[in-house]
Amino acid sequence: MLSCKEVAERASALIDGELGVFEALQMRLHLAMCKGCGAFIGQMRTTRDLTQRTLPLDNQPDAEGARISAILSRLHATKQSGG
Amino acid sequence: MVRMCTGIVRNRATAEEIVQDTWVAVLNGISGFEGRSPLAGWIFAILVNKARSRAVRDGRTVSFDGEGEDDGLAAAFDGRGRWKDMPELWENLTPERIVEGRSILAHVTAAIETLPPAQRSVLILRAGQELKSSEVCAILAITEDNMRVLLHRARLSVRNALDAVIAGKGL
Repeated sequence: MLSCKEVAERASALIDGELGVFEALQMRLHLAMCKGCGAFIGQMRTTRDLTQRTLPLDNQPDAEGARISAILSRLHATKQSGG
Repeated sequence: MVRMCTGIVRNRATAEEIVQDTWVAVLNGISGFEGRSPLAGWIFAILVNKARSRAVRDGRTVSFDGEGEDDGLAAAFDGRGRWKDMPELWENLTPERIVEGRSILAHVTAAIETLPPAQRSVLILRAGQELKSSEVCAILAITEDNMRVLLHRARLSVRNALDAVIAGKGL
């Protein structure tokens, strides 16, 4: 049986889907019985999701990324054709 | 990009300079870019190289090797590996909710700013989700194990900061 400390150490691996089948099962067994660890894993997931929300700084990230990609693609094509 | 860079050189003005240099390098080098890796990854690799060279030049050695700080939860468990204080669910948590005078998102941003450079770099690069783990490792020149440790510690720090604010207790 995993201890709470061992569960906490594997938290990131769990939420990133990087645990092997057996380890993931051990984790889920513990989480089914331990509210504290359940809360902790939820907090780590929330932390990950909130971190994603802080990026990027600008308001229109996708539009800017697309614009930059478009400019770079045109430049790439221009340079490759010797222009 | 400026935020990522400030994590390495620690000075915003220098970071902005480096970002500009990076764009110049990108524009100059774009015809040689063969598209075998994602564009974002290539740009970040140039950025990180420039930032690290600058940090070394300015006398700051930037180590990305786990950094040797202790585990952010070491004191949270008793001798049998059980929680001393049971974590509690974060209730009604939205990014905009105001706690202690700031939005949750502002607290998260502030917590990220205080991370050591390597943890911060990994957290930011992995959070964006455009880059795969292997690409992040290649950009930062670290191993996958290294990266996992840094990512876990970074998330832990941010989680601890949030928990202290939300649940009103420090760890």
